[in-house]
Amino acid sequence: MTVAAPTPKANMGQPVPRYDGLAKVTGSALYAADFPHLDLAYAYLVSSGIAKGRVKSLDVREVRTLPGVLDILSHENMSDAVAHAKFFSDGGPVSNSVVPLSSPEIAYAGQTIAVVLANSYEAARDAAQRIVVDYDIDPASATFGSKGAIDQVLAEQSKKHEDPKVGDFASAYAAAPVKIDAAYSTPTQHHNPLELFATVCSWDGPNLTVYEPSQNVYGIKNGLAQQLGMDASRVRVISPFIGGAFGSKGALTQRTAIVAVAAKRLGRPVKLVATRRQAFTIATYRAETRHIIKLAATPDGKLQALSHEGFEVTSRPDPYAVAGTDASTRMYACPNIVSNVTIVRADRSTPGFMRAPAETPYFFALESAMDELAIALNMDPIELRRVNDTMKEPIKGLPYTSRSLMACFDEAATAFGWSKRNPRPGSMRDGDWLVGWGCATAAYPTQMAPASARVSLFPDGTARVETASHEIGTGIYTVAAQTAAEQLGLPFEKITVALGDTILPPAPVSGGSITTASVCSVIAQACAAIRGKLSNEAVGADLVEALNKRGLGAIEEYAEWVPHGAKAGAMQALYKGAAQPIGGAKLEDRMQFAFGAQFVEVRVHSQTREVRVPRMVSAFAAGRIMNTRTARSQLMGGMIWGIGSALHEQTDIDTNAARYVNTDLAEYLIPVNADVVDIEVIMVPEEDKLVNPLGIKGIGEIGIVGANAAVANAVYHATGQRIRDLPLRIDGLMPSA
Amino acid sequence: MPEHLDGDDKPSVSRRRFLGATASTAALPFMGASAARAVADPAVKPDPGALLNVSLTINGKDHRLGLDVRTTLLDALRDHVGLTGSKKGCDHGQCGACTVHVDGQRTLSCLTLAASAHGRVIETIEGLASTDGKLHPMQQAFIDNDAFQCGYCTPGQIMSAVGCVKEGHADNDDAIREYMSGNLCRCAAYPNIVAAINQAKTQMEG
Repeated sequence: MTVAAPTPKANMGQPVPRYDGLAKVTGSALYAADFPHLDLAYAYLVSSGIAKGRVKSLDVREVRTLPGVLDILSHENMSDAVAHAKFFSDGGPVSNSVVPLSSPEIAYAGQTIAVVLANSYEAARDAAQRIVVDYDIDPASATFGSKGAIDQVLAEQSKKHEDPKVGDFASAYAAAPVKIDAAYSTPTQHHNPLELFATVCSWDGPNLTVYEPSQNVYGIKNGLAQQLGMDASRVRVISPFIGGAFGSKGALTQRTAIVAVAAKRLGRPVKLVATRRQAFTIATYRAETRHIIKLAATPDGKLQALSHEGFEVTSRPDPYAVAGTDASTRMYACPNIVSNVTIVRADRSTPGFMRAPAETPYFFALESAMDELAIALNMDPIELRRVNDTMKEPIKGLPYTSRSLMACFDEAATAFGWSKRNPRPGSMRDGDWLVGWGCATAAYPTQMAPASARVSLFPDGTARVETASHEIGTGIYTVAAQTAAEQLGLPFEKITVALGDTILPPAPVSGGSITTASVCSVIAQACAAIRGKLSNEAVGADLVEALNKRGLGAIEEYAEWVPHGAKAGAMQALYKGAAQPIGGAKLEDRMQFAFGAQFVEVRVHSQTREVRVPRMVSAFAAGRIMNTRTARSQLMGGMIWGIGSALHEQTDIDTNAARYVNTDLAEYLIPVNADVVDIEVIMVPEEDKLVNPLGIKGIGEIGIVGANAAVANAVYHATGQRIRDLPLRIDGLMPSA
Repeated sequence: MPEHLDGDDKPSVSRRRFLGATASTAALPFMGASAARAVADPAVKPDPGALLNVSLTINGKDHRLGLDVRTTLLDALRDHVGLTGSKKGCDHGQCGACTVHVDGQRTLSCLTLAASAHGRVIETIEGLASTDGKLHPMQQAFIDNDAFQCGYCTPGQIMSAVGCVKEGHADNDDAIREYMSGNLCRCAAYPNIVAAINQAKTQMEG
């Protein structure tokens, strides 16, 4: 076994190489923009240069005469083309309820205000850049503290949100001997998957086929049908490979309907590959957040009071919030807890989910504050977590189905060499470099959603798995094939898997780390049905022999699986593309979470204050691990996202214009190869028979959680400087004059 | 299923439009290397509607294409030749997903006008494996070391990795990390990419 393919420990599957590896290393995997089409026309978006106001005039006279230009779509000819649809957290399909081109009104910078259609990409781009736009400009509110931004209490805006609280925070906080009261912030961030937001629409009479990278093909199918006023059965969405998503390809964006209308009007397939700059405004993003944390403890470190106030930016029309207090208030034993979340409405596009949407910002605040408390107590930060570890969440007293937090801390601490740490800040110098070691808790809710699948077994000893799930890089092709191979007693090579197409049975949105648990559960159920048909054969029996003995041509089983706690009608909602994940802290009877521990070494240059991360060791326990190779990669990717979240990523906002300024991959910094040195991923064996029959918790997001805090805690240890605002950059670390 | 470029059905009107520039090549006089020079010469004002005759050797096959002067090598490969392995991640030379080899050098095809590659030898991810299907050692090493997740940056990473080894920039991990930092991987498979290059370089050198 290589480092990339760790030897499986208890309750872990084999590190089978990726099912789609060959396709991906030869360039033959087809992403949305790669499918060939006859008679293709190209679309190019024109984006608003202002954040608020309206289009006064759009001068397209010159542009219409350019060779190759076919048409220009704008509010002048598209006002009724696309119906308004509800925002997804209000039960609708769209990520942003503003319908571009429906009127001259502009609600945010970068909003699509026109679309050029041409015979070639070059002609469409040239024409789009020549259109002269005249605006009426209104003052725009950019972010926190901007004139005109409106604060609202989330619990009053959203019926789904309830602020967790218990006991009497104020009295306990006043009475406790050791306290922390600190404010933290995290910046705007964009997913920036390497694949651009592409959409190709092609009509065949009344039937529409959409090629689009998606984490929710049934969501596009049904949402688009609603926007276009057509029967959803006439829409097919194809998305076999997705070039990264991280949340950005989850909800339906407004571009899809525009491309569909364009294709209908031209009577030709139309391809849009939006530019990298447009990617910052046509999909979603992680909004900037602010936090105030108050912690109080006894001298031996037992938490007595915890308060978490969160503030999040959203758009004018859509009340999006991640509300991470749901998790942050439930991590540690504490008798007195209060929390609240405020949303701040500004003239921005609507934010959305981005890798560990709630936990990335909220655990930066919580886990930084825990480190500050450990220092105030003169206590080891691991021991502070240990004395407050609990098998019951503190708000309602619900039991965790499993919780291996301290096992993760202990394994990672040993591998990291934590016992050699001198706790005094600035004490571990190496030449010109100040060395710091820090740690933090990682946690992520274990959620699942209803899923359906069809599994077929054939007399030649092959089987086929079909489910409209999504390969965003997680390895779902691979673990789906592994599940079927194991459940049918066949070699991995004998399984084919079809995903990412709405002609297949529906699977839920691939987000919230739900895919493996949901999809493998339903595949196992369909395989069990096949065994049942062949006279209740147990796992391991020769099903192919039994099939041949009966002289059957094939056995095909369709299955539906519904997780614990799902509401009535959840399976039917899945068929409408609207299945809601359930689990985590949202269950009536229990808590479902995966846990981990992040350990980071930083080196801060004593003169330049450059920060490097030479080493990271993290341990995670997330129930059954299906494939140690793909799991390690995914956890490692999350950890590196944590480095990026701490040191690199920030979308800068021009607060006067309410506009992003660093909208490309050279100026929006993400970790590059040279930023990442030694990453060790430890998978801690854990068995949880309650979460689902296979005991899978999901690992897509937990790798990032707490990593930003661990970096900041390590920087404190290196320098004695506490950085409470991300990203943590040289300018924030200059020794104060 | 979608139509494929190499089908042998008779060209129809719409098929000709799909093939676009390629099909019209025959109607244009072959301009040879002067075509590429004309683009760079400010005294010559090309008709924006006219197609430029560009000759490229791609993965050992000669292609004669009639292209818009503004067409990048990346778009020529993807939209006109049908080789979609090379990917567009930024169109600005910032991400490396479009990396191909031009005359043996790793090159950002999105920052290269197709016309400027006239007469050059292009190698893309589709041409890396042997004709009998045997993977290049770098491709196999990427599979073995799980050096990708979503796979979108992978063709560019592999072409860049092959270049990195051939340039002699893969002597140690630090060098590999530095010389591979022009290829972004948002899934962050970086440590596995370094491991893959270490595995493949021995076989490539041996």
